[in-house]
Amino acid sequence: MEENILVQHYIRDKKQKISYSKIKDSICESGVMLLTICSSLVVIFIFGFILIKAWQVISVNGIDFIITKGFDAQITKAYHADAAHPYWKFGVAGLIMGSIATTLGALIIALPLGLGTAIVITELAPNWMGKLLQSVVRLLASIPSIIYGLIGLLVIVPFITKHFITVDMQVKYIKYFQIDGKSMLAGILVLSIMIVPMIITLSVDAINAVPKRYKEASIALGISHWRTIVKVIIPAAKSGVLAGVILGVGRAIGEAVALSMVSGGIGNIPDPSNGLVFFLTPVLTLASAIVNKSEAMSVPSINSALFACGVALLITCVSLSLFTKLVEYLIARREGIG
Amino acid sequence: MDRKKLRDYTGLVLSWLASSLTIAACGGIVLYLFINGFKEISWSFLTSEPASSFTSPTAGGISTPIVGTLVLTFIGIVVAFPWALATSIYLAEYAGRKGFASVLRVGIDVLAGIPTIVIAIFGAAVFSNPKLGFLSSMVVNGDEASKAFGRSFLVSGLTMAVMVLPFIIKTCEEALKSVPDTYREASLAMGASKWRTTTKIVLPSAKNGIATSVILGMGRIIGDTAIVWLTLGGTLQMTGVQPWWKPENWLSTLRNTGSTLTSYIYYTSPAGEGNMAAKAFGASFVLIVIIILLNVITGLIAKGKRIKEEA
Repeated sequence: MEENILVQHYIRDKKQKISYSKIKDSICESGVMLLTICSSLVVIFIFGFILIKAWQVISVNGIDFIITKGFDAQITKAYHADAAHPYWKFGVAGLIMGSIATTLGALIIALPLGLGTAIVITELAPNWMGKLLQSVVRLLASIPSIIYGLIGLLVIVPFITKHFITVDMQVKYIKYFQIDGKSMLAGILVLSIMIVPMIITLSVDAINAVPKRYKEASIALGISHWRTIVKVIIPAAKSGVLAGVILGVGRAIGEAVALSMVSGGIGNIPDPSNGLVFFLTPVLTLASAIVNKSEAMSVPSINSALFACGVALLITCVSLSLFTKLVEYLIARREGIG
Repeated sequence: MDRKKLRDYTGLVLSWLASSLTIAACGGIVLYLFINGFKEISWSFLTSEPASSFTSPTAGGISTPIVGTLVLTFIGIVVAFPWALATSIYLAEYAGRKGFASVLRVGIDVLAGIPTIVIAIFGAAVFSNPKLGFLSSMVVNGDEASKAFGRSFLVSGLTMAVMVLPFIIKTCEEALKSVPDTYREASLAMGASKWRTTTKIVLPSAKNGIATSVILGMGRIIGDTAIVWLTLGGTLQMTGVQPWWKPENWLSTLRNTGSTLTSYIYYTSPAGEGNMAAKAFGASFVLIVIIILLNVITGLIAKGKRIKEEA
C-alpha cells in the first residue's frame, strides 16, 4: 500500500514536471514567434514613420517633387526663409538623374569586371588561386565605404583633376558649375569598385550551381572551353548574375557617404551633349543629398524634404528587393515544372 | 578556324584582365592605406584623445574614436543578436516555407535591402521623440520645438541593431539549416521536446555558423558611416561628463555623443572640416586592420568546421 502511494506520487511529480516543461516550451516558442513578427514589422514601421515625416513636402509638391529640379537652390532658399513663411517647394529630379547616372555607369564598369573575375575563379584559375581570389573578393566586400570614399577623394579625384581637366574647360563651364575633379566620373569609379564584389560572389555561386553535365556535354561535342563558358555556363547561370546585379544596384543607389565625398555635391543634371564634361559634372544622388544637407535638418521644411528623399530611396530599394523575390519565385516555379 | 581561336583567346585574356584588375584594386587600396597609414601609427596616436585643432601636430589621437567604435559594436550586437537568433530559430525550425512564414521572410528580406542612410534618418528621427529622451541628453524634455536631434551612443547603437538585424538573421538561419536533420530526428526519437531539441542539439551544432554571423554583423557596424554621422554627429570628443572613462560617468557618456573611427575619418578627411589627411589615413589603417582581422577569424572558423567535418 505504502509503495503504491509512493509510485503514485512519483507519477504525479513526473506528470507535473512534464507539463511544466511543456508550458515553458510553449512560452519560448511563442516568444520566438513574436520576435520574428517584430523583426518583419520593423520594415513597415520604418516606412510609415519616414512617410509621415515626409508627408508635408510630398503633399505640397505632389508629382512636381520628382519632375522639377534645382534642389540646391531650394535648400538654400528654405534655409534662409524666415520661420513665419517657410519655403516648401522642392524638386529632386536632379538627384534622381544623379542616382540613375552614377548607378548605371558603375554597373557598366562592374558587370564585365565582375563576370570576368567570376569566370576566372570558377573555370579558369587553378584551385588554390580561385580560393585566394575569393578571399580577396571577400575582403573587398567588407572594406567600409568610408575607406572607398577616402581613397576616392585623395587618389581618384586628384588624378581626374590632373589628367582630364583643363583651365579652358573650367572657364567655359564656370557659369554652370565648378569643375574641380569631384565629379560623376569619380563617383562611378568608386561605386563600381564597391559593387564588383557582390556581382562576383553571386555569379560564382550561380556558376558553381550549374550542373557539371552541361559542361561535359558541351566539351564532348568538341566545343572549346571558352565557347562552353559563353554559350552554356553563363546562360545557365544568368539568374544568379542578375541577382548579383540587383544587389549591386541596391547598394549603389543607397550609398551615401562615399558618394557625397567624391561626387561633388551639387545636384546638376549631367548633359550628354557636353562631351567629356558630361562625366566631369558634379552630381548629387538621393542618398548623398541626405548626408550632404543633414546639417540643415533643423529647418522643418528641409527636414521633411530629406525624408522625402528617403521615401524615394525606400520605394526604389523595396521594389528592387521584391523584384528579386519575384525572379526567385519564377525560377523556382520553372524548375519545378521542368 | 584561326578566327575562332583568336576569339577564344581574346575572351580568356579579357577575363584574366578583369580578375587582375579586381585584385589590383583590392591590393592597391590595402597597400596604399598601409603605406600612408602606418607612418602615422604611434603609441601616442592610439592612446591620446582627439583635440579640437585643425592642424595635424596638435590634433591628438584616436583613443575615443576606437572606444566609440567598440561601444557601438557592443550595443548593436547585444541588442540585435538575441533578437536575430530568436527570429532565425523560428524561421529555420518552426515556420516552414509556405503562407505566413513566407510573408515574414519577405519583410526581413526587404529590411535587408534598405540603404543604411534611410535607417540612419529613421533612427535620428525616432529617437528625437521626447518620449525616448532618456536615451539621449540632447532631447530636451517636453519641448518639441527644440530641434536638437536625439544623438547619443545609445541611439546610434540601437539604430545599428536595426541595421544589422536582417544580416544576422540570414546568416544564423543558414547556419541552423545546415545542421543535418538526422540530429533532430535522433533527439526527437529519444523523447526530447522540439524546443529542447532546438536549444540543446541544433544550436550547439550550429555554433560556428552563429559565431560567423555575429562577426559579420560586427564588421558591418564597425564599417558603417551613414548611421554614425546622423545619429552620433560630427563631434570628435566625448561630450559626456568628464572624465568619460570613469565608471560613474559611463551612463552620461552613453547618453552623449562622441565619435567612431569612421566618423573620425570623415571628419578629418578633406570632405569634413578637419582636412588632416594624415590623421584620416592613420585611422583608416586601424579600421582596415580590424576588418582584416575579422575576415581572418571568419576564415579560421570556416576552416575549423571543414576539418571537423572531414575527420
